[in-house]
Amino acid sequence: MNQKKSLWKIITGSREVSLLLILIVMLIVVQILSRGTFLTPTNIGQIFRNNALTMLMALGMLCVMLTAGIDISITSTLAFTGMIIGMLQKRAGFTNTFALFLLAALIGIACGFLNGLIISKGHLAPIICTMGFMYIWRGLAYVVSNNQWASGADVAKFAEFGKDGSVGPYIILIIAYVVFFIVMKWTTFGRRIYAVGSNADAARVSGINVDRVLIQVYTIMGLLAGLAGALSVSIYASAQPNMQYGKEMDVIAACVIGGTSMNGGRGSVVGTFLGALFYAVLAKALPLVGLDSIWQNLIKGVVVLAVVLINVLTQRTMDRAALERREM
Amino acid sequence: MAGKSGRTIDATPKTSIKSRVLSWESGLIVIFIAVLIFGSIVSKSFTFSNVLREMPKYLSELFMMYAMGFILVIAEIDISVGAIVCLAGTMTCFANRAGAPLIVQIIVCIGVGFLCGCLNGVIATHFQELPTMIITLGTQIIFRGIAEVSMGSGGSVSLSDTMGFAKIGGMVGPFPIAFFLIIIAAVIFIFVLSRTTFGRKMYAVGSNRTAALYAGIPVQKIRQICFTLVGTMAGVCALFLLATSFGANTTTGQGFEMDVIAMCVFGGIATTGGKGNLVGATIAGFTIVCLRIALGQLNMSGQTILVIIGILLIVSALIPGINQSVKNRRKAIAAK
Repeated sequence: MNQKKSLWKIITGSREVSLLLILIVMLIVVQILSRGTFLTPTNIGQIFRNNALTMLMALGMLCVMLTAGIDISITSTLAFTGMIIGMLQKRAGFTNTFALFLLAALIGIACGFLNGLIISKGHLAPIICTMGFMYIWRGLAYVVSNNQWASGADVAKFAEFGKDGSVGPYIILIIAYVVFFIVMKWTTFGRRIYAVGSNADAARVSGINVDRVLIQVYTIMGLLAGLAGALSVSIYASAQPNMQYGKEMDVIAACVIGGTSMNGGRGSVVGTFLGALFYAVLAKALPLVGLDSIWQNLIKGVVVLAVVLINVLTQRTMDRAALERREM
Repeated sequence: MAGKSGRTIDATPKTSIKSRVLSWESGLIVIFIAVLIFGSIVSKSFTFSNVLREMPKYLSELFMMYAMGFILVIAEIDISVGAIVCLAGTMTCFANRAGAPLIVQIIVCIGVGFLCGCLNGVIATHFQELPTMIITLGTQIIFRGIAEVSMGSGGSVSLSDTMGFAKIGGMVGPFPIAFFLIIIAAVIFIFVLSRTTFGRKMYAVGSNRTAALYAGIPVQKIRQICFTLVGTMAGVCALFLLATSFGANTTTGQGFEMDVIAMCVFGGIATTGGKGNLVGATIAGFTIVCLRIALGQLNMSGQTILVIIGILLIVSALIPGINQSVKNRRKAIAAK
C-alpha cells in the first residue's frame, strides 16, 4: 500500500495544509482589495501584537482540548494575575519587569494546578470546574482592584516591554510556539497528552498516570494564562478587572478552526497557530476591505460555524469513501 | 442486586423519610433559609417587601434556567442563550421604536428567541457528530454579531415608548408580575420533567442516547424541542430584562449562559445528563437571587458575589462525587 497520495488528498486530508491554502488565498484577496496596503511590516507586526494573548493561550487550550477537556476560566485567571501585577506597580511601586512576569507565571501555575487537581481527583466535568473558577478569579480580580484601575504612569516602565515596536511580545510568542511544537511532537510528555485524549482508559491500562497528565495540562494552561495576564498589562498599558471578558471563546474558536477536536486526541500546534492566525487576519482585514468593525463578530461566527460544519461534511465523505473501498 | 455494571436496581422506589430529609433539595432549602437569615442580619432593608421589589432585576434569568435544566438533563449544553437574549432584546427595541403595538413587540421578542433556538436545534440534529458546545459557540458569536450590526456604531438601542414594558415590569399587590410567571413556569416545567412521558424520555436520552434510540425514543426530535424551548425562554427572559432596563446594548445578556448553567448545577442537575430535577434548580435559583439582593443592599461591589457563586458551584458539584466514593468505600469494606 505504498501509493503516492494525490495532491487533492493531501489538501483535503490535512487540516494544516487546507488551512494554509485558505489563508494564502485570503491574504492575496485582501492584498488586492486593499490595493497593496495590507501586507506591510507594520500591519503584520500589529496582527501578532494585537492577538498575542489569544495566540499564547491557544497553545494551552490545545493541550486541554487534546485531553477532551475545556478551560473557560483562562481569561479570569488572566484578569486576576493582570490585576495583581498592575496593583503591585501602582500601590507598592514594584517595577522589576522580569520579577513581575515570574510572579504572574507563578500565580497562573497555582490557578491552573487547582483546576487540574479538582478535575482529576474530584472527577468534576472540566466545564463545571473551570466555570466555577471563572467566577472566582474574576470576582477576586474585582476584590484586588478595589474599584481602581492601574494605567498610564502606574505601569509605564512595565509597558516598555510590550509597547508598539518592542520585540518583547514576539519573543514570548516565538519561544512558546517553538517549545510547544517540540514538546507535543517529540517528547513522551506530548505523546501522553494525545494518548489520554484519544482513550483515557487505554492510556490508564498502558501505564500512564492519567490524573497526573490532567493536572500537568491544566497547570500549563494556567501558566500561559498567567503570562498572558502580565503580557496584557504590558501591551495595553492598563490593568482593569474586566479585561478580556468573554474572550476565552475566541481562544477556543481559534483552536477549533485549527482542527482541534473537542472530543480529544486530535489537534496540532501548527494547526492551532494557523487557526489563531486566520482569526487574527480576518479581524485585521475586514476594515481594509471596506467592512465596518461592527461586522467583525458576525463574520467571525459564520466562519467558525462554517469551518466546523465543512469539517463534518468532509469527514462524512471520507468515511463513506473508505466504506465503499472496503466493500469492493 | 448489583448488576453487571455495578449499578443496583431496586424494585421498590426509595421514598423513605430519611432519604427525603437527606436529599439535595432539603439541603438547598437549608442554604436558602441561611441566606435569608444572613440577609436580614447584615442589611436592615432586607425585608419581605423590599426583596420582592428588587427581585425583577434578577428574576429574568430564571425563565431560562428551567429550559436549560432540560438541556442539561439530555446531556447537552447551550452557551448561546446570552447572545439570544441580546438579539431578542435588540429586535424588540427596534419594533418598539417603529411604533409597533405591545403585543407585536412581545411576539417579536419571543419569536426571535424561538427562531434562534430552532436554528441551534436544526444544526444539532443534522450534524450529530458535533458537540453542541461548538455549535452554540458559533451561533453565540453570530447572534451577538447580528445584534451588534443592527445596533450600528453606537452599540446600544433603547425603547422609545416605555409604557408597555413598565406594565410588564409592574407589581400585582406586593408581588412583581415576573414572580407569578416564574412560579407558573416552574410548575409547568417541573410537571413536564417529572410527571410526563416526555420528561422520562429526556432522562433516557440523557443517561444513554444510543440505548434510548434503540428503545424507540425519537432522540433527535427531543433534542430539537429542547433547543427550541431554551431559545424561546431566552426570548421571554429578554422581555422581562427590557422591562427593567428599557434598552439593550452589545453587552446585554453577557454571561447569562454561565449564570443559568451555574444555577442548574447548584440545583443538583449534572452536566453529564440524566440526573437532577428542577425543584432543586428552582430553590437554587431563588437562593442566588436573594444572595444577590442581600449583597447588593450591602453596597458590596456586584462582582464580589462572583466569588461566592463560584465556590458554591464547585462545592455543590463536588459533593455527589465525594458521597459516591464514601459509599463505594463502605461497600468495599462490607464486601470484605
